[in-house]
Amino acid sequence: MTIRRVLIIAPILVVLILLQSYFWVPTYEQQTRGNPNRLSEFIAGSIGDASLLNPILSMDSASSQIEGMVFEGLVDRDENLRIRSRLAASWEVFEEAFFYINESADIPGLGESDPKRIADFLKEAKEKSHRFIPQLQASLDRIAEISVIPPRRFQVSRYHRTKSREKGEAPITFDVEAPARIQLVLSEVDPDFFQNLIFLFGKDYFDTFQGKKYIHPDFPIGEKELAAFADELLPATEHNPVLVFHLRPDVKFHDGHVFDAGDVKFTYESIMNPGNLSPRVSDYEPVKSVEIIDPLTFRVVYKRLFSPAVISWGMGILPEHLLNREALEKEALRFGKDPETYTMRQSTFNRRPIGCGPFKFREWKSDRHIILDRFYDYWEGAPNYEKFVFRVIPDLLTQEMEFYAGTIDNYGVQPYQVKRLEKDLRFQNFSGLSFGYSYIGYNMRRRPFDDLRVRRALGMAIDVNKIIDYVLYGQGERITGPFVKQTDYYNQGIRPLPYDPQGALSLLAEAGWQRNKNGWLEKNGKKFQFTLITNSGNDLRKAVLAIAQDAWKQIGIDVRTDILEWSVFIRERVNKLDFDAVVLGWQMGIDPDLYQIWHSSQTNPFQLNFVGFHNAEADDLIIRIRQEYDYGRQVAYCRRLHEIIAREQPYTFLYVDKWTAILDRRIVIKKTDGAGNVFYEKIRPTKTGSYTFHFNKWIKLPKEPVFAADG
Amino acid sequence: MLSFFGRSIVQKIVTLFFVSIISFLIIHLAPGEPSQIDPLNPKFTFEMVERFRKEFHLDKPLHIQYLYFYRDLFTGKTVSWKDNQSVVQKIWDRFLNSLPLFIVGTILTWTISFPIGIRSAIFRGRFFDRSATFFSYLLISIPGFFFAYILIIFVVTRFHVPVIGMETFGLGDTSMLNVIMDRIWHLFLPSVLGATGGIAVLSRYVRSQMLEVEGQDYVRTAKAKGLPSEQVHYKHALRNALLPFVTMFGLILPGLIGGSVIIESIFSWPGMGRMAYEAILARDYPVILTVNFVSAVLVLAGTFISDLLYLLVDPRIRL
Repeated sequence: MTIRRVLIIAPILVVLILLQSYFWVPTYEQQTRGNPNRLSEFIAGSIGDASLLNPILSMDSASSQIEGMVFEGLVDRDENLRIRSRLAASWEVFEEAFFYINESADIPGLGESDPKRIADFLKEAKEKSHRFIPQLQASLDRIAEISVIPPRRFQVSRYHRTKSREKGEAPITFDVEAPARIQLVLSEVDPDFFQNLIFLFGKDYFDTFQGKKYIHPDFPIGEKELAAFADELLPATEHNPVLVFHLRPDVKFHDGHVFDAGDVKFTYESIMNPGNLSPRVSDYEPVKSVEIIDPLTFRVVYKRLFSPAVISWGMGILPEHLLNREALEKEALRFGKDPETYTMRQSTFNRRPIGCGPFKFREWKSDRHIILDRFYDYWEGAPNYEKFVFRVIPDLLTQEMEFYAGTIDNYGVQPYQVKRLEKDLRFQNFSGLSFGYSYIGYNMRRRPFDDLRVRRALGMAIDVNKIIDYVLYGQGERITGPFVKQTDYYNQGIRPLPYDPQGALSLLAEAGWQRNKNGWLEKNGKKFQFTLITNSGNDLRKAVLAIAQDAWKQIGIDVRTDILEWSVFIRERVNKLDFDAVVLGWQMGIDPDLYQIWHSSQTNPFQLNFVGFHNAEADDLIIRIRQEYDYGRQVAYCRRLHEIIAREQPYTFLYVDKWTAILDRRIVIKKTDGAGNVFYEKIRPTKTGSYTFHFNKWIKLPKEPVFAADG
Repeated sequence: MLSFFGRSIVQKIVTLFFVSIISFLIIHLAPGEPSQIDPLNPKFTFEMVERFRKEFHLDKPLHIQYLYFYRDLFTGKTVSWKDNQSVVQKIWDRFLNSLPLFIVGTILTWTISFPIGIRSAIFRGRFFDRSATFFSYLLISIPGFFFAYILIIFVVTRFHVPVIGMETFGLGDTSMLNVIMDRIWHLFLPSVLGATGGIAVLSRYVRSQMLEVEGQDYVRTAKAKGLPSEQVHYKHALRNALLPFVTMFGLILPGLIGGSVIIESIFSWPGMGRMAYEAILARDYPVILTVNFVSAVLVLAGTFISDLLYLLVDPRIRL
């Protein structure tokens, strides 16, 4: 019978064809040990694929990893987190400060104010010694140039909010008669400059400047609104920090084109171009202007004090000649698209990037792999590895299998997987603290969380060490404040809250909470009851939720819990400030700017200070941290801020978790000393825990070498 | 005949229209934002979120968004929000990757199930039937991912050959034949795994259908007139048992685009299922909706084909 035969023979045939192919497949052995080229390539396993390989357009971690190798910024951070030079050989930071002549105020010992005389007055003051006011002396010493900007008239248009029923904005034009202005060039950024000048000019000189006298709207508007416009158009004082980068000469892009200041300017303009929808705009919003002084000198002027300014230029630099208007138009025409609407987002550049980083792009197969080759003309010397491969393997277990087999060198290894391989002599493993922390945040607008004693007591009732031991398998550390723990900004002197349920009870008793006959805490006949929420899909947070609930129940607090889908959780509860307490985490950057998360102006719905923390001193410190260019002082402000936040306990700070990594022991750092002798070093994580910091010097050897400096 | 085609096509277009509305609504009414918009990132200012929403037309009312989306889809201009690649191109690439898995899996499922099911039906209650039943239920109840892991670990530790991906990574320059064989090897586990579940289910159906038919008078007649038993079972009985499978066969067409998320993820297979799944997680609406639309079209085409097959298989049906 043919039907029956076909039905039986066909599958057998198919299976046989499939099976015989086994004899053609190279074994793992052939791929790894049998393949001499394997030693000169590094294969990294990743769960997800990259999205767009353009540093100004993408922010996901997979894309960033590749971008970090293909592109290079002007600066980056060294092992100790200080800023080091990359494409910029050096840079200078100084400041241009301005103030308007205040005609209505008298300067002590000078009387009426003529701009020329004020400038001379400053010059004289600079000559004189002010031993008794050292800060004034320091500020005056910084003055490098003084000049007078004569009065001028100009017109500006703005939009103002109309009062009519339909919410709208109407254009308004101001006739501005700006008074004379003094321009000062300061050799260093000095955030306190004008506070110090008060010693010379009198207390009210800057405060009493009446900007609104000089602006004349073409349409009558309210006094308050007028003052706001005056502040914007004619600010009494203004700091304009200036950054001048001296670029490295003869740096080449992968296509041989020479890098210059035009590329830096182009990268900046591309980020600011609204059509590109760059997610990095906020870093460059404070920039007032950029200027190419010569092909290797680039100058940036900022609108205001902005201390993360220098590091923001760590952004990968794009090649202008491949992405400028003309290049994009040409590309659009080639693909038959409309050149008018063709933006960098559509460009095929994002699929085959060209930068001036240590590795050169070769191939990208979606959801399979990305291959990079070493760039021989890299300015710092070509990397040791000839090839970097990024393999997409979406499953953790198969990643581990491939790692065992030696076909990937590195993957996102989990702590429990490291445990299995720890004792294995073939591997070396690393671990370190990550840049984020988990916390329980209390809605301080609601009772009883507005009481510090209650927040403290809630924190004291939870045994965080147990959470670290049993939930994180020991892969975490306690944290007491909002800074990255391995940076100097973190105040190591602050002790975490002790685990002390009895102490918690007595604090609560102080706050008026007594146990009733059923064992629940009560105040004025009301039971202590609230709901703790978190998002679904995160098992660690779920575990913390259960532990906290249990710990609080033991001291008599009736805690309900709720787990919500992420977007509902954010949109309906956190953004609308509709919660009692949340379990959440923050991913941090190294930069200590905490404005969005902790400043009291950010407590409205849809803002990130959703717990409603407000503290005048903290606000002041947050602003100062943003404006301080001096590392030492910034660190001091951060430590003080840390202290305040730890004291106020708006969050119960829980833990920062650890990352883990595992590598073949034969992967080492290869260096050459002055005499040309090759020597090897063990890979060691840097202070911040980046073990890949010296990646360009890594190489895999046939067998583990003897280290010179081992012992 | 022609009027049947006409009516059927009109009906299907109307259905498709409603499907497009409903799937659009479901996806847009579900909570969540495209992953490009991250409300908890301090660097994301309100203005930027607005700008992204505007670019993606998310600030427009739903019916306008609907029109925008389908206008782009039919002019082939839809692009993924994740990487700005053309969605149609993306789906086509993934479709080509998933196709071999689908073909091999389907061949295996739709051939081997019949002999097994028929034999079980003939020897009902005997050893073969019992063991077939046992293995069917075993395969149905083992979670696919678990079975896949077991198989991978077994093959890798036993035979030391790579099994994941579409080809051995870094195969380098070898002969064409080697490359083809390598590809075929990588098809082996995922397609066999994909087929096992299908075989288990389908052979059960075949068995029950055959049991029903085997009791009929005409089968007894065929047996009584001395036909060889093979001819009785595979010709007289099977043909009549086949009717329900025609419907099922029409429905495997959408499987072309569905793919298997789990198998594809475990085997790092860059297929359709994985792409759609990742698009859903990232709320990449253009990709999700296009995949949705294409599979709706395929379902309708599948039912149309099975209608036609009925004509062929069952002479009682006349149009």
